[in-house]
Amino acid sequence: MKAKVLFLIAAVCFLAAGCAQETTMIDTRNDEGKAVMALDYRDFDMAASKMVQSMLGSGALKKQDGGRYVVATGRIINDTTQRIDTDQLMVKIETEILNSGQAVMTSAIGSGSDELLHDTRELRDSEEFDQETVAKRQTLIAPELTISGKIFQRNIRYDRNRQQIEYYFQLKLSDVKSGLRFWQDETLIGKRGSNRSVSWE
Amino acid sequence: MKKLEFVLIGLIVFASGCYKHNEPRVHLRDEVGSDTAGSNIVTRPVKYAFSALIGEGIEITNAVTRRSDAGFLELYVNGRNASYNTRRFRYKVEWLDADGIMIETKTSVWLPMSAMGKSPFTIKAVAPRPQAVDFRMDTRKWE
Repeated sequence: MKAKVLFLIAAVCFLAAGCAQETTMIDTRNDEGKAVMALDYRDFDMAASKMVQSMLGSGALKKQDGGRYVVATGRIINDTTQRIDTDQLMVKIETEILNSGQAVMTSAIGSGSDELLHDTRELRDSEEFDQETVAKRQTLIAPELTISGKIFQRNIRYDRNRQQIEYYFQLKLSDVKSGLRFWQDETLIGKRGSNRSVSWE
Repeated sequence: MKKLEFVLIGLIVFASGCYKHNEPRVHLRDEVGSDTAGSNIVTRPVKYAFSALIGEGIEITNAVTRRSDAGFLELYVNGRNASYNTRRFRYKVEWLDADGIMIETKTSVWLPMSAMGKSPFTIKAVAPRPQAVDFRMDTRKWE
């Protein structure tokens, strides 16, 4: 009797172990996984790709007198129900702007600013640092263009069992001196799925 | 009596197959334009079945590249959905430099595309680097 119980327990343990979902790496280059209601990396890849192509294709970053524009990243508002780090979108766009050779990004100001740029300037009076190696006054370059934008969502009841979620990615590129807008675009990503799916993860 | 019905059906089939409008740039869909052999209520099921049987799908007409004023290579891929159903697929464009080396870029990702039945479509892509001189494009089923 005892042996039978032990055998049964061992069999159950063996079967249960077989049911556990194994962890797998995502093939991010050719991901064939199902779509999810929330925004995932594929949505950001797609939005960034479309935005970059639109921006570069418009010629808005081509400086008339040659040279390169200095671009600062402004505020990107996350108006969705999800906790999104907007850098997930902006880093891709900034990378492509830099690599295009038509503009440089500034780390001196804006949402992509680097605090150390300002901290190192406070070393001007420090006797611990060789003052020749400390950045001088009026050496930072002011931005000529700024990129700002918004990501927002609309939840719509599609039918009794399904909902529709629309995600809007909006970006605009403005000239600092004149305030004129050189480029803007919007990418829409729409998803339909079960009412039970949640989009606020 | 049966002969009359046969003649009537025959007329509908032939008449619908004969209609052609003269402006190829304007596409009139089912229930908008006059019936064609593909949209006629009698012949449609046969046409649809035949189209599915021979496996009609996306066909690429040509791919045109040009250099934009901003200095980037622009790609326009023109094609046609030969089937009667809307075809959804994904495509990815990779850019090649003068040495034929692929340029690593964040824009080379799978993008969605949709073409309605029996309709032309155009895919536009812009190379994000001025070094791009050529391209290669891949497609896959929309999962």
